[in-house]
Amino acid sequence: MDMRDIRPTVRRRISRMLSYLIFLGLIVALAFTADWALITKVFLNKDIALGMFPGVFRAALNTILYTLIAFVIGLVLAIVLALMKLSSGPFKWFAVGFIELFRGLPALLTIFIMAFAVPMAFESLRALRIEGVYYGLIGLVFVTGAYTAEIIRAGIQAVPRGQHEAARSLGMSQMRTMITVILPQAIRIVIPPLTNELVMLLKDTSLLFIAGATKANKELTQFGRDGMSSHFNSTPLLVVAVFYLIITIPLTYLVARLEKKMAVKQ
Amino acid sequence: MTTTGVLHPRDTPDPQAPPIQILGLHKHFGDLHVLKGIDLTVNKGEVVCVVGPSGSGKSTLLRSVNLLERPTQGKVFIEGIDVLDPDVNLDLIRTRIGMVFQSFNLFPHMTVLRNVAMAQQKVLRRSSVEANKIAHDMLVRVGLEDKVDAHPSQLSGGQQQRVAIARSLAMNPDMMLFDEPTSALDPELVGEVLEVMRGLAAEGMTMMVVTHEMGFAREVGSRVIFMDEGLIVEEGLPSEVLGNPQHPRTQLFLSKVL
Repeated sequence: MDMRDIRPTVRRRISRMLSYLIFLGLIVALAFTADWALITKVFLNKDIALGMFPGVFRAALNTILYTLIAFVIGLVLAIVLALMKLSSGPFKWFAVGFIELFRGLPALLTIFIMAFAVPMAFESLRALRIEGVYYGLIGLVFVTGAYTAEIIRAGIQAVPRGQHEAARSLGMSQMRTMITVILPQAIRIVIPPLTNELVMLLKDTSLLFIAGATKANKELTQFGRDGMSSHFNSTPLLVVAVFYLIITIPLTYLVARLEKKMAVKQ
Repeated sequence: MTTTGVLHPRDTPDPQAPPIQILGLHKHFGDLHVLKGIDLTVNKGEVVCVVGPSGSGKSTLLRSVNLLERPTQGKVFIEGIDVLDPDVNLDLIRTRIGMVFQSFNLFPHMTVLRNVAMAQQKVLRRSSVEANKIAHDMLVRVGLEDKVDAHPSQLSGGQQQRVAIARSLAMNPDMMLFDEPTSALDPELVGEVLEVMRGLAAEGMTMMVVTHEMGFAREVGSRVIFMDEGLIVEEGLPSEVLGNPQHPRTQLFLSKVL
């Protein structure tokens, strides 16, 4: 029988079925060749998983806390940097340098430098005996500040020129115009990318693990990694991964919704 | 800061001086020579209508009055004060010059009342009670007292422009600049804005109006200025310039628009 004798609708259905079958076959093959006993032992140890509670809640809370602290301080820093970059003169070049530096470096390296090199270099800081993770957090503030500054700058430039002119012609100063007229509109415009940055930042707090925190200050990744070392088992990583998803997936949906809402408005 | 205390002499307006006086004004945008030597005096209570083809420099001239455009050469005096003097308080001068834009430029993130009250509080340091009272009065005046809580996006173009006029009036300006205030409006909405402007003129407000509404210029204008290619080509009473133009360029322009 010639393939061309089959009706196109039927032919399409057959080819779709075939591709599903091949895909299913691959998965089944993988499942059969895998050593399930070993996987279960290494990744799905129930006792170890249960042993992580309630400590893992503390770690999740720390992750959220570090995210919010870095985001809020980073946002303030970003607004200052964006205004500097839009100005003329030496401030502009400072902002350009700062932004390029911290966007150009890997976040991990920045945190590493902040957590180890800076306290070592400044005697007076060492005397304060602040934990490394907080220095790392400052590094994270710099990184997110640099990225967010570019978002804010784009928002400011997206506000129509006429807004500035209307405010100035009412006698408002440059600064007053920026604070009461331009910035509120600019931030509204960039809420979707800002929320996106928040999600990225939440995941980047995992990098703080290299700074090394004491028990009460561990965030999720360090908590999972330390759990892995002490039990010589990978189950803690899986538990921690689930916790990240519980936080990030709703946030990602929020971004999508905000973007849709902004699109309708325009 | 701006309204309290005694004004420095250089920031004190001279009541005898004309509201607007422009001398030998030039403006370049890069290689483009937009204004090529403008001399113009607007006296108290005058309604000066500026007409001319697009690209003739009329908007640039208007925007030079409150220094939204900085002239490359020439002088601008507002009530006797040299606004190009870097030592004068330009923000203070701008509070006395109301400006209405073609695109309204209301603040979209504020209610109508807030739009009209905000600059009174932030710039003139009026209390919120006083500012809101004046804002409300101004909105009554332009016939929009029922829209105080609306946001600009909920209003028609004509209503937005009337709010913009109220916003300027709330600052108690000595003069008003209108930059094609009805050009962005649907035809049926032009009338309500012109009506408000007509009322202002009748009350003796000094006005400079860039417009394509020849009917308004003829009826309300105390003087019409015809501009072309960066120069004032012809000026005089509306009946003369619009009714019996002398210059061929004015005649050509009017034959196209009337």
